[in-house]
Amino acid sequence: MKTKVVQQALPWLLPLLLLAGWQVCSSIELISSQLFPSPATVLLSAWNLILTGELAYHIEASLSRAFIGGLIGGGIGFILGMLNGLSRTSFRLTDTTVQMIRTIPHLALVPLVIIWLGIDEGSKIFLVALGVMFPVYINTLHGIRTVDAGYIEMGRMYGLKGYQLFREILLPGALPSIFVGIRYALGVMWLTLIIAETIATNEGIGYLATNAREFMQTDIIIISIILYALLGKLADLLAHWGERRALRWHPSYNIQN
Amino acid sequence: MSGSALESRKEETGKSRGVHIHVNHVVKTFGDKEVLKGVDLAIEPGEFVAIVGKSGSGKSTLLRLIAGLDALTDGQLLFDGVPVKESQSKATMMYQDSRLLPWKKVIENVGLGLKGNWREKAERVLDAVGLLPFQKEWPSTLSGGQKQRVALARALVHEPSLLLLDEPLSALDALTRLEMQNLIERIWLDLGFTALLVTHDVREAVRLADRIILIEDGQIALDIPNHAKRPRQLSDISLALLEKNVVERIMGAPERE
Repeated sequence: MKTKVVQQALPWLLPLLLLAGWQVCSSIELISSQLFPSPATVLLSAWNLILTGELAYHIEASLSRAFIGGLIGGGIGFILGMLNGLSRTSFRLTDTTVQMIRTIPHLALVPLVIIWLGIDEGSKIFLVALGVMFPVYINTLHGIRTVDAGYIEMGRMYGLKGYQLFREILLPGALPSIFVGIRYALGVMWLTLIIAETIATNEGIGYLATNAREFMQTDIIIISIILYALLGKLADLLAHWGERRALRWHPSYNIQN
Repeated sequence: MSGSALESRKEETGKSRGVHIHVNHVVKTFGDKEVLKGVDLAIEPGEFVAIVGKSGSGKSTLLRLIAGLDALTDGQLLFDGVPVKESQSKATMMYQDSRLLPWKKVIENVGLGLKGNWREKAERVLDAVGLLPFQKEWPSTLSGGQKQRVALARALVHEPSLLLLDEPLSALDALTRLEMQNLIERIWLDLGFTALLVTHDVREAVRLADRIILIEDGQIALDIPNHAKRPRQLSDISLALLEKNVVERIMGAPERE
């Protein structure tokens, strides 16, 4: 029992020590509190931001961008991946184009997107959607392609066709790969959002950080970074949870064994 | 335990369900390679026929043609006098690998492709193969023999008039194989479908079939009836003799001066 507690606490030991060291160093002015505000100062600023409602406002702005952009990009990637996995004609028609666009780093489009769509929501959502689309597309396509042909033949023999074949065999067979795409896409999603929000925006976590830089509010910059980390982790946890639920049948997700 | 459940099903249908198969000078080529070189074969309703042969002899190809999984190059394949494509007769197949969908519970695998009140039907057949207690398990938790039992149940639930067995027992250990042979024979005796077994195990062919057909080099080289008493006994001396004959024929009888 005791060893279990120790085992569970062990991973947290190092971060806590680091925090404590940081606090001490700032308190005795060993490092500039202007550049390295102490953890206590950061916490206090965070508390103030929460009280004024500013924090919630900016988080909401960022979350809604991430969510809408992710949904659009993920949706397009998923549908395109499915179509191209199922139909050779569709694959012939669109895959080359998609692969060509994929080779452009989507963040290189930032200046152009700002000119086209301005600095409001559209540009951010567009960039996030573009970034999320490709990992979902590629992994969905790969998932569909690698479904065991034996299952499909067997399904046909037992009278499955069309949508039924898709629902019972193709989709579940592709799901492990699709989830790999989704989790990877979440990483791309946050990265894109951070860049897009830092460059041109007037609300959101990125704006919080850029704005704070103008006034040398390092504590707020640190808060924004921590926020990104927390939100990223949260999204990954959600995806992981969904994965575990959807792939219960998979031996490597089976908790009992 | 289970025989009665199956017999009651037979009474419901009220007739022998076996299909008459007529293979009329069937040719199958893959590219330049002629795998079947004009095969003629007639199988009576309810007959249990085993096809043996070395690997590459074309025995599995013939089975796949009869299953409607591949198209004939030339010739004719009739079920009860009707071309296979237009036939209403149901053929189901058991493969060497069980091809259970890993993302479906055992009972859902059995009920695959059924409509309406499928669960009750699936439960009954699962009971007949002795695996009702496992209905809520994932396939990955079953042993090889159990998986093949589920695959057998899945093939039977459609009330086939033809059961195709493509080396279904060759991946099992010797004891499980004996058990499965007994089970298959008992169910076949109960239900009266036509059965076509492809195997490289001559002992298995002799134990199960009414007729043993040897395919060599894309042609039928041997067609021997097997009149041994049913249900077959391991100790039946006539089976051993027949096995010896067939094996010697396959391996090439010892040269005599």
